[in-house]
Amino acid sequence: CAAMMQGQTSDWKIAGPCTFHRVVLKNASPHHYMKVHLELEDNSNRLSAVELKHFIIAGLKNLHGEVGAALNFDVLKYDEGSLTALLRVHSSGLVKLWSSLTLLGSYQNQSCAFRVLQVSPFLLALTGNSRELQLH
Amino acid sequence: MQDLSRCPRNLLVCERSSFQNEKNRVSAQVEQMHFNYKVSLLLPDCSSAPSHLDETLKSFNSFYLIKKLPIYKLLNENFLRSAIYNGSVYGLSHQTRIDEDNCVSLMPNGILTLSLDKDSFELLGFEGKPSRFNHRRCSRFVVTVNLTDSCMAPGRRNYLRLLEGLKSRLPLQTDFLLSHHPGGGASLHPLLSCCDWSEHQPEVKFRSLTNVSFPVPESCDPHSFLQWLGAVESGVSGENSSNSFLSSLICPEPKTQTNCALSACVSGMLLPQDIQRLIGQLRSADGTHSKHVGVGLVCDSPVSQESPGAGPVLGGADSSRFRGQPRVLGRERAWISSRRRELLQPADVPRPHLPPSLGCRRTRCLPTVMPLTHQNQEN
Repeated sequence: CAAMMQGQTSDWKIAGPCTFHRVVLKNASPHHYMKVHLELEDNSNRLSAVELKHFIIAGLKNLHGEVGAALNFDVLKYDEGSLTALLRVHSSGLVKLWSSLTLLGSYQNQSCAFRVLQVSPFLLALTGNSRELQLH
Repeated sequence: MQDLSRCPRNLLVCERSSFQNEKNRVSAQVEQMHFNYKVSLLLPDCSSAPSHLDETLKSFNSFYLIKKLPIYKLLNENFLRSAIYNGSVYGLSHQTRIDEDNCVSLMPNGILTLSLDKDSFELLGFEGKPSRFNHRRCSRFVVTVNLTDSCMAPGRRNYLRLLEGLKSRLPLQTDFLLSHHPGGGASLHPLLSCCDWSEHQPEVKFRSLTNVSFPVPESCDPHSFLQWLGAVESGVSGENSSNSFLSSLICPEPKTQTNCALSACVSGMLLPQDIQRLIGQLRSADGTHSKHVGVGLVCDSPVSQESPGAGPVLGGADSSRFRGQPRVLGRERAWISSRRRELLQPADVPRPHLPPSLGCRRTRCLPTVMPLTHQNQEN
């Protein structure tokens, strides 16, 4: 299946610009992207991007052990003001990362929770959310 | 134990051709996208929007928000005559979530779709079918009514039954977004005149970018290309080293560097006709670099959820050549779910309104029990 997908994508690259070329990629997305928001009991508390990543790695280690702690994921973007982050993870690690975020319940002895706002195999899909359309 | 390395199914369909190619489906796909939330543009080597493009972006049709619209008013005879029979009406319930609330949509071909939870569906008492979105647990139902059909003409039995259901048994009320092409507000007057409404213009935003790396589309696989486009749109830096602690995202190679680029986006309730006009403008514009257009769909639309259509991303190297990559914005699950449906057998989907299938009525053939004889015992 992987070889077939490789073949399809290489066909895609060499196809001439004027011919019609269609490629269907099924379950081929290498990464998944998550938009998450951290809710803290004390709103005045702020984390830097590095602290946030450390915190998530600690959660992965608690739930999945050393193998979980070695999971590769990226903090693509982080807004300290709103405590909202864009994460990228290999598709095979999505369930482990998501479950760790769900079970992370305290940060420095204060209650906290991760809200998963959007999940998609396409980063472009996280650039807009129709539920945020506010009309006054 | 479930395999932890499995992830939700996903599907990406990529098409590349000239606009002149007879197999090109860009126009047909855009026409099918009835409820669009966002259109984003990426123009390389551009520090400010060209005047003709700026004009097009700002001339997108306005839309109306009706507060607490009783849904039965969509069946108003005058409204049917002035708007639905004479043009394209786009209507969608606002601030309702497809997985929690009752959602309503009105499509330009006159089809009214109600996505209802089980209790509301039973109260309404009108024919519907189980939602395809969640096929494992039959908790939602979809009622689809063609208002232009002769059996739904005012005064006919079906019309009166639906009107009665929405008036007395299930008095649905929701904030409602409405737009009309080509008539606009005048055609919607019979409905607007009896409700609390406000008119809204789609919001246009521009963002100037500096030192942007562009991958060469012909030598880049679709997923990497979409990732790069998403990174630029969401302001994620692509200049990372492979050993960076926070992120290792980089622009795909080979790449070209431009000093400036312009990102523009329009958001609101956008009509497909406006998007077609914008694509036409981009095709006629001069330029040597790729231009990219992305369309985001409303994620809580009952129509998007039930049909396998998807919003495209378009990119092109010159005025007559674009690359189309259908993509999904905010509703991947619907796309995946509708594809998964094809793998199911008809008997897997509950249909409470239909008599049980022949397969269910078939009597089971039990194996015949042979009397145990002395010869069998020996064998």
